[in-house]
Amino acid sequence: MENHAGVGTGDGGNRMTTIQEVQQAFTTGSDAACIVRNRVEAAVPPARIRGEVARARKDFGFDHLIQISVTDLGATFQLIYHLTGPHRIVLSLAVDVPREKPEAPSMHDIHPPAGIYERQIHDLMGVVFTGHPNLKRIILNEDWPQNEFPLRKDWKPEPDRYYGGVREVL
Amino acid sequence: MARVIVPVGPQHPALKEPVNFRIIAEGETIVGLELDVSYNHRGIEKAAEQRDFTRVVPLLERICGICSHSHGTAFVKGIEEIMAIAVPPRAEYIRTIIAELERIHSHLLWLGVAAHEIGWNTLFMWTWRDREAVQDILEEISGNRVNYGMNIVGGVRRDITPELNKAALDRLPALEAQIAGYVELLKKQETVLLRFQGVGRLTREQALTYGTVGPTARSSGVEYDIRRDDPYCAYAEVPWDVVTDTHGDVYGKTIVRIGELRESVRIVRYCLEHLPEGDITVKAPRNAPTGHALSRYEAPRGELSHYIRTNGTDKADRLDVRTPTLANWTSVAASLVNQNLADIPVIIAAIDPCLSCTSRLTVLNPQRTSSTEMTWEDLRRRARELNRERERC
Repeated sequence: MENHAGVGTGDGGNRMTTIQEVQQAFTTGSDAACIVRNRVEAAVPPARIRGEVARARKDFGFDHLIQISVTDLGATFQLIYHLTGPHRIVLSLAVDVPREKPEAPSMHDIHPPAGIYERQIHDLMGVVFTGHPNLKRIILNEDWPQNEFPLRKDWKPEPDRYYGGVREVL
Repeated sequence: MARVIVPVGPQHPALKEPVNFRIIAEGETIVGLELDVSYNHRGIEKAAEQRDFTRVVPLLERICGICSHSHGTAFVKGIEEIMAIAVPPRAEYIRTIIAELERIHSHLLWLGVAAHEIGWNTLFMWTWRDREAVQDILEEISGNRVNYGMNIVGGVRRDITPELNKAALDRLPALEAQIAGYVELLKKQETVLLRFQGVGRLTREQALTYGTVGPTARSSGVEYDIRRDDPYCAYAEVPWDVVTDTHGDVYGKTIVRIGELRESVRIVRYCLEHLPEGDITVKAPRNAPTGHALSRYEAPRGELSHYIRTNGTDKADRLDVRTPTLANWTSVAASLVNQNLADIPVIIAAIDPCLSCTSRLTVLNPQRTSSTEMTWEDLRRRARELNRERERC
């Protein structure tokens, strides 16, 4: 696989990054169970996630962001950055952000598609991505009430609140 | 020169999707783009959390009318991974056959739409005529032209009998001949060359930077295909090749899609001829254990990924869907810059944003409780009668 501008494949020539190298670099100690087929999973503290995603891209060739998945776990929101690259290994870096202060750093400059995924998560789950240049509404309609995030587990529509769209005439 | 904002959509004759673009133009040249996709959000991810694994599959098939099998398969294979159940080989082959038929019909549909966007409706008519052969196979196998309803957790719902198998194989040579015709046509047809070549070009670096997927990435020389990189269904056992091109423009995307048509026919033929014997389902448990899976799938438009989290019940705790179109939008903004306003429709259509598909005509008589299907002959007769009536007036 040839190298391309600005992004290392982590192969230092022709050698491909192996799954064991990725595992050693991103997981700690006895996490042998974190490998399933070509998948490596690791948990990262919020303060380090930007650095880890950048390191994965620069040193290990993870140049493609598959998805940022988000789950409401109650006390925290779990963001998982699913990355892959020319070696086809999938690295999933999970980060838990606290519910009372749902903030995570934006990755739009490391992986440009993150910009649109982060806007979607911000819209539906209410996670704020610091440093995002344009964290505007993208999925929900423009007249959707502020501070209502429908994918949160505790969200219930208020029967007499207006959620935008065509008003029903009874 | 003064900058002008040109709003395109959500309802626009050149766009088949409810999406709004605010195109920033200097004269006839595009310099930027803003995007709003909020017009048709249906809350399917939220609704999926309320339904058990049997009832959620038909819902997910309706995320998209064209790649309905993609969403269904991506979900069931994720759940099967969490449940750690092995699907019978016959079911894996049938899933692969439907998936590739879906890709053929989707790419033929796209080719027609792209031709329509450059004003060459003849090609549109030809490709949609040929697409009927695929729709017929899908209808014979599944009973439906869209939303095939083939998947269930643990296998597929309908078998391919030897008669159906033969009927499908018999339709393939004609389809293959037509596809070969398109390959030749694309090399020399002047309208296509003038409107596709050099339009909406994306370099390999851009394709990688903007995280493109599917034919959009492969037309810029990025060899990225989930069917090979993360094999699922029967793809690891079937001989086929990843199709790439280096043009990067609309022409390159067309070459890749037509190349994939040939590969898909090859996969369908191989799977039909080598269909393993045996069951088509295994009994899946009602509940899934606590776990999570990232299920990747190569949909006609590119990599589709479903992140599924389960909590020990018969419902998914969270389903996070990332569609290929969302992954490709960022690159559209890049490939539109410095292009001409008149090329907006074809550049946007080049990533093949999802379109809707209609079902067959059914005549409903409110006085009666039954419905009647119209055959092709009935439809023609009815059209002739209507024309005669109109001419008499």
